[in-house]
Amino acid sequence: MTEHLYLHVPFCKTICYYCDFCHRVYNRDTVLKWLSEVKKEIDSKNINRNLKTVYIGGGTPTSLSKEELNSLLILLDPYTDEVIEYTVEVNPETLDEEKANILLKHKVNRVSLGVQSFNENLLSMMNRKHCIKDIENCIELLRNKGISNISCDLMYSLPLQTADDFLDSLNKLVKMDIPHISFYSLQIEENSVFGKKGYTALDEDTEASMYEMGRDYLVKEGYRQYEISNYCKPGYESKHNMAYWYYKDFYGISLGAAGKENHMRYQNTRNFDEYLNGNYIDETIELSKKDEMFEHLMMSLRLLEGLDLNEFKERYGRDFKDVYKTELEKSLKNNDVYIKNNHLVCNKREILNTILLEFMED
Amino acid sequence: MDQSKIRNFSIIAHIDHGKSTLADRIIELTNTVSKREMTSQILDDLELEKERGITIKLNVVQLKYEALDGEIYTLHLIDTPGHVDFTYEVSRSLAACDGAILVVDASQGIEAQTLANTYLALDNDLEIIPVINKIDLPSAEPDKVKKEIENIIGLDCEGAPLISAKTGQNVRDVLEAIVHKIPAPKGDVNAPLKALVFDSYYDSYRGVVVFIRIKDGKVKVGDKIRFCANGSEYEVTEVGVKVPREVKRDSLEAGEVGYLCASIKSIQDVDVGDTITLSDRPCAEPLKGYRKMNPMVYCGMYPTDNARYNDLRDALEKLQLNDAALTFEAESSKALGFGFRLGFLGLLHMEVVQERLEREYGLNLIATAPSVVYKVHMTDGSVIDIDNPSLMPDNTLIDYIEEPYVKAGIMVPNQYIGAVMELSQSKRGTYIDMEFIDDNRNQLNYEIPLSEIIFEYFDKLKSVSRGYASLDYELIGYRKSNLVKMDILLNGEVIDALSIIVHRDFAYQRGQAITVKLKKLIPKQQFEIPVQAAIGNKVLARTNIKSLRKDVLAKCYGGDISRKKKLLEKQKEGKKRMKAVGSVEIPQEAFMAVLSLDDDNK
Repeated sequence: MTEHLYLHVPFCKTICYYCDFCHRVYNRDTVLKWLSEVKKEIDSKNINRNLKTVYIGGGTPTSLSKEELNSLLILLDPYTDEVIEYTVEVNPETLDEEKANILLKHKVNRVSLGVQSFNENLLSMMNRKHCIKDIENCIELLRNKGISNISCDLMYSLPLQTADDFLDSLNKLVKMDIPHISFYSLQIEENSVFGKKGYTALDEDTEASMYEMGRDYLVKEGYRQYEISNYCKPGYESKHNMAYWYYKDFYGISLGAAGKENHMRYQNTRNFDEYLNGNYIDETIELSKKDEMFEHLMMSLRLLEGLDLNEFKERYGRDFKDVYKTELEKSLKNNDVYIKNNHLVCNKREILNTILLEFMED
Repeated sequence: MDQSKIRNFSIIAHIDHGKSTLADRIIELTNTVSKREMTSQILDDLELEKERGITIKLNVVQLKYEALDGEIYTLHLIDTPGHVDFTYEVSRSLAACDGAILVVDASQGIEAQTLANTYLALDNDLEIIPVINKIDLPSAEPDKVKKEIENIIGLDCEGAPLISAKTGQNVRDVLEAIVHKIPAPKGDVNAPLKALVFDSYYDSYRGVVVFIRIKDGKVKVGDKIRFCANGSEYEVTEVGVKVPREVKRDSLEAGEVGYLCASIKSIQDVDVGDTITLSDRPCAEPLKGYRKMNPMVYCGMYPTDNARYNDLRDALEKLQLNDAALTFEAESSKALGFGFRLGFLGLLHMEVVQERLEREYGLNLIATAPSVVYKVHMTDGSVIDIDNPSLMPDNTLIDYIEEPYVKAGIMVPNQYIGAVMELSQSKRGTYIDMEFIDDNRNQLNYEIPLSEIIFEYFDKLKSVSRGYASLDYELIGYRKSNLVKMDILLNGEVIDALSIIVHRDFAYQRGQAITVKLKKLIPKQQFEIPVQAAIGNKVLARTNIKSLRKDVLAKCYGGDISRKKKLLEKQKEGKKRMKAVGSVEIPQEAFMAVLSLDDDNK
């Protein structure tokens, strides 16, 4: 039974320069058409009424007006009776008290805040529209409303960013006692504004140093690096994201979303017209057992706890050590992975891709 | 057959001046007669071959042409390869002809290979007919080009056909010129057989198919023939002509161009340039032969997957059936395992062979940097040929080393003369002289080591002259040079496949450039890798490939498994093209990196 749902809101007030995700500048008419299409898409899927986690990402979900936001959340109400974790992505400058109340009314209990940096020059270089004050106000508002499960995203390896800038941002979040922090390095995507303007990221070595510095700092401050890019205080792991890393099924709703149900992965269209014509799915990939075993490994090795070998055997009816005999021996010898409490754990998650190549079919 | 109605000719030209297009037009034009007379369907045959994607090796085609004087002539068009690597093949094709069409582009004028090919034709005493092509182009200056030909080559251009092979305009003038200006063959049909071998290919049913020009006498099925060079004898099983499809005939006689088969098992048994005669009535003296063409450039080829060594050998054996110029022998490398040392006529030949091996035989190959053949004079007085730098003897045992030199003619517009001279100087060239071509152009003559020509000289020449310079070269022999072997070490180990021979004065600079380039090409691995260039024990340059600290982790929301997987698959593809040498993974390009280096940073 699929217990997790991701819904993509493809609108933003402005476009951040690093972004090539599926988005469009907010426009009231388009939003209304989109809302009615999302309703149809949800109705067309026989969605489990007892979802455990819901995640509304974007784009900028809070770029919607309060009426639109309310209408969107109403669409999901029938499925959230037993929801444990309900996350909405928020940009600091787009949340006001009324929108916060709407979130609460629909059982939203976790917010992922796009902070990115506490350096206002860097923020404006990325075309982010918030300032430091907005971040502080937003966190205060959420806490006053009773939403204390807050995650903040940061970016590093930005052009002109120094290690101190990055450390300062982490430090501010730690001081505010934010229980969940993610940080991602800037990737210059070809279709982003940065890409088109010919920006280059910092060199690999500087990036790696920033990564190590950030990781070591947060661990020292009592956070667990429970996944490559995600850190949290005990008990604050994102349950929704954990479903991805455990390679569970999840619904993907709306433009650009991806989902996995019943041994199939699917990718929804990124084309607005296609979507509004009811052609939701762009690509469906049928998964063989072999695909699933590898993808499961690929996702779970990102976790601090690693891949649960008991669960693997239960799910696929085969022992991991038999399926990947030679690959495993080589990787163990290389000290790339180790086995602990019947979990396969990656020793150097920052070079996980390189390590995974060993397990990939030729 | 009446020899006075036969014309044997080639088309010669600088690359891209329209040689193939003109050949196509001539075949088309003459086909009207062919259809009436021969029922063969030349174009259909060609079309079919084209559809099947076969490269048509049109070594020779027989054409029937009804001239304006009402007579029907038999024309043999003998094809010549269009690249400087194959100059030797051009000359052997020309030896089978009595005349040549010299095609010159009406806007480009004379280029280096126009001259080189003209000289080859003159060496063979051929009647040369200049033809000005591409007159339909707006930039065409036929009068200027005609003057150029008269002034530089000394050919009379009065009445030279002005044509557009592309549109077909005036192509008939070319055919008329062939009929009226090129002399008919003057062989003695009653004399003992004397046939020149100018090409051959291998057919799995009939054995080697030998292309011949009959100078004197006659050959027919059942004749016992002898190859003059090695004395081997065979019984002729088939003779015929190409139209371009092969059509069997009972016999071929003086003046004609065609093929014969005689159950010859291997292409190595037939020397191109040899003379064929009859066993029981041999000719007094064979035709002037060719010098045997030896490979000029060697490189090692190794399968990335060692298990495919035997597949590579099978593929090479098959390729060699049709490529007498290709040589190979087994070799092994500490770094690369078992592979082969291949010999080629030039770099283009090498590229063609590598591409065919990879495409047609599905092999993934590592090619080492090409090397010329060095003559190493040892202190004990012996001389050895070295075509693999890693086999260079220890310095203390060497008296001196000689390397092959070429005479290079570079035709270049005036404004690029400085740049070309600078380039040639930096490639250890010796300036000989400069020939005046016209108000805008000169020909620079240099003597340059062949190794420098194959190491990027040509590409550089094109770039410093914005594509306007043209090059031709010929081997002029061996010269003593101050050469030394430079080794490349990765992780402290000499990688034999990366060793090169360099001039001592340039060693430091080359070593620096190579190490920097390798650092760029070899992806980071899980440990730090020192890269060194050394002569003997003396390290000239050193850099480090730092260890891999972090992969690219795409920022994508957790559910986007496809994107994560695609990133991995891309990385995996890259890894497939690498060769594990000890603990270091080296990409294919790295083995060629020792070649092209300087100012790669621009």
